Amino acid sequence: MVQSHQIIIPMQQQQKEKKLKFFINDDIDILIEILKRLDGRSLCVAACVCRLWRTLARNDSLWEELCFRHVSSPPPSSVRPVVLALGGYKRLYMVCLQPVLSRLGLAELNSHRVKRTWTRDELQLSLSLFCVDYYERLGAAAAAGDTDRSLGECDASTSSLMFLCKPVNV
Amino acid sequence: MVLYDSATSGGSNSGSSSSCSGTKQHVAEIDGLLAGAGYKVRSSELRQVAQRLERLETVMVNSPADISQLASDTVHYNPSDLASWVDSLLSEFNQPPLPLPSDLPDLPDIIAGPSVNHTAVGNYLTDNFTTTQQQQQQQQQMMIVTAMEEDSGIRLVHMLMTCAESVQRGEMAVAGSLIEDMKGLLTRVNPSCGIGKVAGCFIDALSFRIMGVGGSICGSVSENEILYHHFYEACPYLKFAHFTANQAILEAFDGHDCVHVVDFNLMHGLQWPALIQALALRPGGPPLLRLTGIGPPSPDGRDSLREIGLRLAELARSVNIRFTFRGVAASRLEDVKPWMLQVSPKEALAVNSILQLHKLLGADPARNSPMEMVLGWIRNLNPKIMTVVEQESNHNQPEFLDRFTTALYYYSTMFDSLEACPLQPEKALAEIYLQREICNVVCCEGSARVERHEPLAKWRNRLAGAGFRPLHLGSNAFRQASMLLTLFSAEGYSVEETEGCLTLGWHSRPLIAASAWHAVPDVMMSHQNSN
Repeated sequence: MVQSHQIIIPMQQQQKEKKLKFFINDDIDILIEILKRLDGRSLCVAACVCRLWRTLARNDSLWEELCFRHVSSPPPSSVRPVVLALGGYKRLYMVCLQPVLSRLGLAELNSHRVKRTWTRDELQLSLSLFCVDYYERLGAAAAAGDTDRSLGECDASTSSLMFLCKPVNV
Repeated sequence: MVLYDSATSGGSNSGSSSSCSGTKQHVAEIDGLLAGAGYKVRSSELRQVAQRLERLETVMVNSPADISQLASDTVHYNPSDLASWVDSLLSEFNQPPLPLPSDLPDLPDIIAGPSVNHTAVGNYLTDNFTTTQQQQQQQQQMMIVTAMEEDSGIRLVHMLMTCAESVQRGEMAVAGSLIEDMKGLLTRVNPSCGIGKVAGCFIDALSFRIMGVGGSICGSVSENEILYHHFYEACPYLKFAHFTANQAILEAFDGHDCVHVVDFNLMHGLQWPALIQALALRPGGPPLLRLTGIGPPSPDGRDSLREIGLRLAELARSVNIRFTFRGVAASRLEDVKPWMLQVSPKEALAVNSILQLHKLLGADPARNSPMEMVLGWIRNLNPKIMTVVEQESNHNQPEFLDRFTTALYYYSTMFDSLEACPLQPEKALAEIYLQREICNVVCCEGSARVERHEPLAKWRNRLAGAGFRPLHLGSNAFRQASMLLTLFSAEGYSVEETEGCLTLGWHSRPLIAASAWHAVPDVMMSHQNSN
């Protein structure tokens, strides 16, 4: 009798553990809500966790949220199709916005870079630089004889914006 | 050598004394000890004496001349007065000290490289650097190492002037021998920074002029495009020009639905993506945009203008702007006739000239000056805005020596600013781009000399005389330019605003100036009969 008792209890424990166990990947909506609130670097790190997270992190709307998170006034609706046409919000953030803001943040010696409000001017400048970047990629693709323009795959940052990637030589 | 021994003992003495934190009593003690040893020097001066001694050591070790003369022929002052004794020894090594002329205010810019990570040369020449404590210490350390280079640098500059003077007087033999001397001196200067590169360019340019081969320096059209592109990447001057002009054009186009931009030098069309994007996002929706790009005809059958136009059209299509492009191939700006541009009276016109107008100044004083002709038809087209960007320097003076001197200072500052660029090969090709400009300014004459830069003040007079009134570049342009500059890693660029025009410079020496103009209504210019 003692033995059968001992067999039953572990099973009950297993069932209890099954009910208590929570796996985040089962609840994609919650996962997205969490990812929406991350900063750029954390989002990239999150994209390395597993395939599901990578797929979710590639969703451009997450990056759109990130780009405009601290803008003082929401951008006009005409911005989105332009940005999407030029390569998407993720690319905008990685190639232009993040270097611009970190460089300008350093220039102002502002220790709370993440929380500062981004002005329209900075956004406008980033968009212009982003456009130049797209244009140069067009040129590079044309030079490579690439008729099937898969510009989204173009990882190498074009030389026009390379000055942004270099560390500030203060 | 007895001399050397006393130098080292003096040096080590100063080392130990300067490392102690001096209380007054301690300092007085050291002074007393030094006096007791027979030295007429105060401990507060010892640091400088030590530096000079180290410099003397460098000079003695590196000197090509036979220094045994020091022991026999020369007169040394009282060696117990260490400071002046070391100075007198040093002056033996410098050839007869060249008196610095008082009309060379910018000389510091040539010798002293950018203060960021290069050998910062001696402070005693510069009085317009604000250096921090740390930089000063660094400079003092570096001063010893670059003492030789500094002297050679100054000597190079003076020899360049002398050579230019002899070229102006027509004494080619003298000039030729000076060039040989300079080339020898150049080997002692570090050619990869500071005065070395610029001097090298100018020495080459002078020798080309003497040999009479100035005209062969200009390269092919595609070469020039590549060099221009790399100059665009390497330093912010062209980016500043493009963004400032775009901002002014954007503001001028406010409220218009049909707009037309005429670009006097299309190159790769790098200016226009930013304008296209800004027009796409402007409140009120994008206008119909026409772009007319003028450029030299491509020799090998490629229609490069059309290719650039196609690229821009694709970009415009991506962002949903109605866009048409037209290319006008002309090797000189004066060959362009207004009918080629097909300007419609209903559209708002913007004329954009980046570093192009000065090329029209080169004609012989004939009846129809090309500058007047071109400005005349521009004015007749009644543009909403004309953006003019030009180099801020006077390289069009009639006397060769004046031109040479101004160009030397201008391009030294330019090369200084380029030093900070971390991108290779952009930096090297940008230097070649500048080299070609220098060659044109120095070697060529007459219609071959197209790089006839003039300062902003002269352009103001000229454009006002041709019927244009200035448009003030607003604070938006200034803010944007300042923001653009902070993105560049080099600290040293400065944007300034003068009477509505923006200038970008290096260490408060303006190098490029951007201005905007519009045509005065006809009723005020009734006396002007163009064509």
